[in-house]
Amino acid sequence: MKKILLLYLVLSAQFALAQTAVKREVVGRDIGQLKGIKVSIRIIDEITGESLVGATVTVPELNLNRITDNNGTVELNLDRAEYNLVLRYVGYETVNYPITAVGEARLTVRMIQEDFQLDGIVIFGSDPEKNIRSTDMGAVKMNTNSIKELPPFLGEVDIIRSMATLPGVSQVGEAAAGLNVRGGGADQNLIQFAGAPIYNPTHLFGLFTSFNPDVVNDFTLYKSVIPARFGGRGSSILDIAPKAGSVSNWGGDLMVSNVSGKVGINGPIVKDKVSVKAGFRGSYINWFLGALSNPDLKNSQANFYDGNLIINAPISENNEITYSFYTSYDDFAFASDTTVSWKNTSQSLQWKSRLSEKLNLELLGYATQYDYSIFNRSGTNDFDLSSGIHDYGLKAFMTYQLSEANKITVGGDWKSLTIQPGELIPGGGEESGILPKKIQDEYARESGVHFQHEFELGEKFGMTYGARYDMYQYLGPRKVNQYEPNRPFSEGTSTSSTEYGDGDNIISFNGFGPRASLRYSLSKSSSFKAGYNKMYQFIHLISNTATIAPTDVWKLSDQYIEPQIVDQYSLGFYNNFKGNIFETSIEVYYKDIQNVIEYKDGANLILQNSLETELVPAEGKAYGIEVFTKKNLGRLTGWVSYTYSRSLRRVITPYQENQINEGKWYSSNFDKPHDLTLIGNYKVSTYTSISATFGYSTGRPVTYPVAKFDFFGNSLAYFNLRNQQRLPDFHRLDFAVNFKFKGNGKFFEDGDWVFSIMNVYGRRNPFSLFFADEQGAPPQAYKLAILGVPLPSISYSIKF
Amino acid sequence: MMRRIIYLVFLFSISCIDPFSADVDQGEQILTVEGLVTSGPGPHVIKLSRSATYGSVFQGLIRPVQGATMMLKDDQGKVTPLTEDPNKFGTYETAASFSAEIGRLYTLQFQLVTGEVYVSAPEKIEAAPEIKKLSVKTVQIPVEGEILFRSGAQIFAEIDDPGDQNNFYLWRNAPSTYVLEARPDLFVIRSPNAPPVPAPKACCYVCYRQEVVGNQSLFIAQDDTFNGLTTTLPVSFIEDNGLRLVNTFRTDIMQIRITPEAYRFLKLIRQQTETSGSVFDPPPASIRGNMSRLDKPEEVVLGYFIAGGETRKRIYIKRDDLTFNQPRVIIPDDCRVVSGPLSDIVPSDWNPNN
Repeated sequence: MKKILLLYLVLSAQFALAQTAVKREVVGRDIGQLKGIKVSIRIIDEITGESLVGATVTVPELNLNRITDNNGTVELNLDRAEYNLVLRYVGYETVNYPITAVGEARLTVRMIQEDFQLDGIVIFGSDPEKNIRSTDMGAVKMNTNSIKELPPFLGEVDIIRSMATLPGVSQVGEAAAGLNVRGGGADQNLIQFAGAPIYNPTHLFGLFTSFNPDVVNDFTLYKSVIPARFGGRGSSILDIAPKAGSVSNWGGDLMVSNVSGKVGINGPIVKDKVSVKAGFRGSYINWFLGALSNPDLKNSQANFYDGNLIINAPISENNEITYSFYTSYDDFAFASDTTVSWKNTSQSLQWKSRLSEKLNLELLGYATQYDYSIFNRSGTNDFDLSSGIHDYGLKAFMTYQLSEANKITVGGDWKSLTIQPGELIPGGGEESGILPKKIQDEYARESGVHFQHEFELGEKFGMTYGARYDMYQYLGPRKVNQYEPNRPFSEGTSTSSTEYGDGDNIISFNGFGPRASLRYSLSKSSSFKAGYNKMYQFIHLISNTATIAPTDVWKLSDQYIEPQIVDQYSLGFYNNFKGNIFETSIEVYYKDIQNVIEYKDGANLILQNSLETELVPAEGKAYGIEVFTKKNLGRLTGWVSYTYSRSLRRVITPYQENQINEGKWYSSNFDKPHDLTLIGNYKVSTYTSISATFGYSTGRPVTYPVAKFDFFGNSLAYFNLRNQQRLPDFHRLDFAVNFKFKGNGKFFEDGDWVFSIMNVYGRRNPFSLFFADEQGAPPQAYKLAILGVPLPSISYSIKF
Repeated sequence: MMRRIIYLVFLFSISCIDPFSADVDQGEQILTVEGLVTSGPGPHVIKLSRSATYGSVFQGLIRPVQGATMMLKDDQGKVTPLTEDPNKFGTYETAASFSAEIGRLYTLQFQLVTGEVYVSAPEKIEAAPEIKKLSVKTVQIPVEGEILFRSGAQIFAEIDDPGDQNNFYLWRNAPSTYVLEARPDLFVIRSPNAPPVPAPKACCYVCYRQEVVGNQSLFIAQDDTFNGLTTTLPVSFIEDNGLRLVNTFRTDIMQIRITPEAYRFLKLIRQQTETSGSVFDPPPASIRGNMSRLDKPEEVVLGYFIAGGETRKRIYIKRDDLTFNQPRVIIPDDCRVVSGPLSDIVPSDWNPNN
């Protein structure tokens, strides 16, 4: 044990070599106090003045690690002695802070984001022992600075795609939007930016994510025991925190890549008090298309942009207000007659306050909106089809730090949801032979109260327990169809309908969601953990495709479509080696999912007023083992993650016509048992690094036809049981070289070039298999590879 | 669609579609029924076959089912027999004089030589509205990897959809006739080891050739977006093969009012024919029809027996109606040597200028 500690200290010392030697600081007013000296340390960002939440303060003399609270503060209980504090935070330079404690004191420490460090690139995770010591399971925090070292896609690192390199997280295929976390559907993840949910954070139909990494500070994925303050989704929470601007100096950055460019600016509006950060990213594909002579391409469009504005006011030592605005927009035209466009907009206002030394309060209000539309101007039957979802809500919670290792969080949240599932309007004036059609809007209120308590029992045990109580009301106005009893829902079995008035409660669901996790430490560097988690989800993505598409609509739970309920049990073993240079974990989980949505054969989902006639409730189960090893320090950093998992579905129904796969368990669309990721980053020199990602997974399930038949001159495939076969295995290698350079200081400070190649050896990984009767060939199977060739990209960026 | 997105983004094709040798199980030989009976003129045809293994040329032979005893029954007990065409195995026809009656329910029933009896769910014949007008638009379809576009004539029908009922439409082409132009004056005699010898023929430059065309694409519609309106809908596509649309092409568009169940079946078929493997494709659906085996209802029978009321309208498409034409195929011979039913005599009802 001592050896490890010694090694650790030696390493920490190396780690800090680049820094100037720090003089020991005598803190507190000396009134001769010997014991029980309270020292509070607040850690803030050197440039933005933001509190750094979740930073670690290590007191090696006391064998103690403390994590900063929501206000960036830790309280230490010290004796009159010398201490060599070590302060760490993801993506920041570690600070060695020797002090002599003589009296009670409140200190503020500024930390600097790491940039040009040769050594000590921490890929993620701030506290090297946090994985061992905390009761957290399956939570991963990443910092955008550190993922910038990974091979990019289209010149930039993608926040959502980078998540898929972690164990238990996968994507359906190369161009698929959305994540599948531990066997859950893509709609079971809540993606929130600055506290506001974002419904479709994708550009170019899912080719990449619409979060600009430059305005993101860090992001955390919770996939196992989800803190009680989060709810409403079954599988995971991806919480993306915006980055604040500098309160001292104006600065900015520029980037160009082969498809898009971006510009960012940040600085103080009021010096040392209020900062602003703005980022804009847009594509110039249209400009290229317009320059082409091919009329088909010339009339096409592929346009997107996203923009962010963050205003941050650390108004006092104890109060901080942040306003955040996010928007993303895409439009896409196939030739000139049909334009598809979608747009997300969200805003949030957050107030963090430290009410007393022990009590912190956080309040947040948000509004978010997602709209989707198709404009058809083909000349006959022109139409506009639009759909959307918007919600707004409030969240509040307080944390009470009873003692250093004893924390209580309580709070509540409330939101109002409106869904416009679809409206068809004849376009182009009188000519259109199209009837307007509007699907009834849906309304609901969702609220929750939560409680969570974290504490330690001696050295060995730590526990977090808590619960969340969710309340959901489905509201009028609405006309609801009634169906014959003991018959499947269909147009034919609909008997009558009931009209509900504005604000009438149509149906309510309440759910009690307990969560608990227990940690038992074997030593300072290894521990066992066990966890349980129950989640309720009242909103469902209605999508009969393998992945999220912008055309998908969301559906609220109603009397026919019940909330999804997910129970998850997990166990884990965590071990760090070589003074935390290597971090390993093995986690196993079992998940039970109720009321997951399956689709009847040939379900008709577009502009459908009674979706219950097209859907079948299914149950799901998922289980798996995840092995993860990460190297945190040194020239070579990276990780290996391997997952064996299954994700299955079953439909049990008394009705023959609703049956899927004879009522037996079958693979979900994203059931990929073996999944391996290798990621490495090698620092060649201060200015050059190379990185590579290799991914392998079992091919995803597909359905093969059992026979071929003819009808009206078409050779057709007859499919019987779903998802019984698999695509060939997936594997791909990506590679990138990153050159950093220093500017002359006049025009810009520094910058980098990134050259990357995706799919280095050009494997044609099939995204899908389809069966078609093409001209000039017998009816047969075809595979579609989205990235069929090595794809190079280049980007150039500078900071000023 | 995904390929197109990627193509537009990178301006070169990085996606690819390759034939894939899927290890498909030996196909079951499932009985398949393909039938359409309307209120229009007969004969109406029902085809019986057995499905085959998907994706293999050699095992993939769909075999006709011969020798069945087949009849059509209506809800008043009237029985119409169908007889197998001796020249086309597995093809059963009503008498040419038979037309389904509006308002009647029809059931198809047949017995195989091995004794099994199959029966359809009843299909009701309801009157279809008339087509008011037919019009034509030129359509060009880019073909990946080829410079030349595919092209052809898209036919549109203007209809007054009745507002008091839900209508489900199917459009088919009755056999078409077109002016086939040949160049008998360019005829040459070819013999091995000798240069071709010009031997112009005097006749015939122009023939009238019949063919069944444009029925591979499925044109169907449901009136939920245009109930009660006058609307214009695409009802047929005649591909320009360098022959058909060179002079004048004539076709009759059959507008058939089908049942909601038949519409759902055809929609699934159309959906399958339109899959491209894209991210946004719906998953393959099991396409079930309306036929079942009498003593073993759980046996899967593929295909559908469709019945419906029919109206027809005729259209002549002339070369000038199109804005783009494929290069003309030159036939350096007497047009009468071309295969298929054709004649150099103008059909009596040929009236392109009306």
